[in-house]
Amino acid sequence: MTEGEAQAEAYSTHLQEVRRGTVVLACLYLLRDAGYGYGLLEALQAAGFQTDANTLYPLLRRLEKQGYLTSAWNTDEARPRKFYRTSPEGERLAEALADEWHTLTRAIDGVTRTARKDRS
Amino acid sequence: MTDYTERYVAAVVRRLPQDTQEDVRTELNASIADDIDARMDQGATHEDAERDVLTAMGDPDALSAGYADRPLHLIGPKYYLTWWRLLKLLWIIVLPCAMGGVALAQVLAGAGPGETIGQVIGVTLGAFVHIGFWTTVVFVILERTGADTVEEWTPDNLPEPQDDGAGRGELIASLALLGVGAAALIADRLFGILWLSGDRMMVMNPGLWPWWIAGLFVLIVADAARAIAVYVRRGWTVGLAAFNTALTLVGSVTAIVLLARGAAINPGLVEFFIREGADDDIGAVLAAVLAFAIAAIAIVDIFVGWRRALVARKAC
Repeated sequence: MTEGEAQAEAYSTHLQEVRRGTVVLACLYLLRDAGYGYGLLEALQAAGFQTDANTLYPLLRRLEKQGYLTSAWNTDEARPRKFYRTSPEGERLAEALADEWHTLTRAIDGVTRTARKDRS
Repeated sequence: MTDYTERYVAAVVRRLPQDTQEDVRTELNASIADDIDARMDQGATHEDAERDVLTAMGDPDALSAGYADRPLHLIGPKYYLTWWRLLKLLWIIVLPCAMGGVALAQVLAGAGPGETIGQVIGVTLGAFVHIGFWTTVVFVILERTGADTVEEWTPDNLPEPQDDGAGRGELIASLALLGVGAAALIADRLFGILWLSGDRMMVMNPGLWPWWIAGLFVLIVADAARAIAVYVRRGWTVGLAAFNTALTLVGSVTAIVLLARGAAINPGLVEFFIREGADDDIGAVLAAVLAFAIAAIAIVDIFVGWRRALVARKAC
């Protein structure tokens, strides 16, 4: 293992910790327009959220069960697809999560700026 | 062609609740087919695309656990500490009792040293494994049914550092001392614990076996129960002090009476001392010294129990 690879591996769990939770927020916003599993996966990746299929699909079901998403089957096409849409409750959760995210962003900005000032 | 996908989806839905199986199956089939199509659009063959997609999805059992919200661990952080504390406590209390009980039963049944040791090791190992297994099974079920039995931790749960006789250290010391005493009695019967001029000698009069010694074992078990009660109640109570007094009186008075009658010490041992040049009254001297030692220990033991019980009551 090269030094770079070792570092990437050591960082990966920390990076995952930071990313955890962002997928829920992104889903709730993206699903204001109804979307289905693989389409959403692509949309998330296009938007810059690294998500795996095996975490996204169960997550959609969980959010549906908790009432933050609604779902409907579309059988018009040859391949039947389950479409999810953010419910009003999901909207409120998305707002709460976004507020938290902005608060954290300001807090992180604050500490990094102080740290930089101290160093210079 | 769809062989892998079919098998994969079947493996995922197999352990899901009946009413969600069809739903998940149809959705997952569509998602996998979409993904395969996207990769084939980029020039991959169907076989390669299917392989890549399923490889990226990973172990179907893990995905299934995700759908069903099943934990992928036996005992999670919610229950781990409670499980481990209870397990250690059960081992500490039950294993010495099992050891002592089996050893006593074997000796009373007239088993030889080898058989007794073998039985004790076998039963102790069995008890160790059973306690570990069944306790863990209970917690694994708790983890999966979500029952909420974990006590909220508060600073009151911190172990007491002061020496009020209620600590875990004292419990372990008491049980260890009783265990050593019981082991010494059994070893005395099996081999004789004194090693004199190449001969093993019993200290206790063999005539005390089995019933007098069995009575002694009953007292030892009762005292172990008393030590556990002091630990569980987090201190001495008046009732425990009274119980301790009764135990100590029965034990010490019986021992002193037996010593006074010359029935406690192995007559062979006394003869041996006389043969080696001791005075003829060595047996009486030994008995008197032991009787005084036992009386002194008994008085201190009774006194300490009452003092701790009364101090604890005043403190409340």
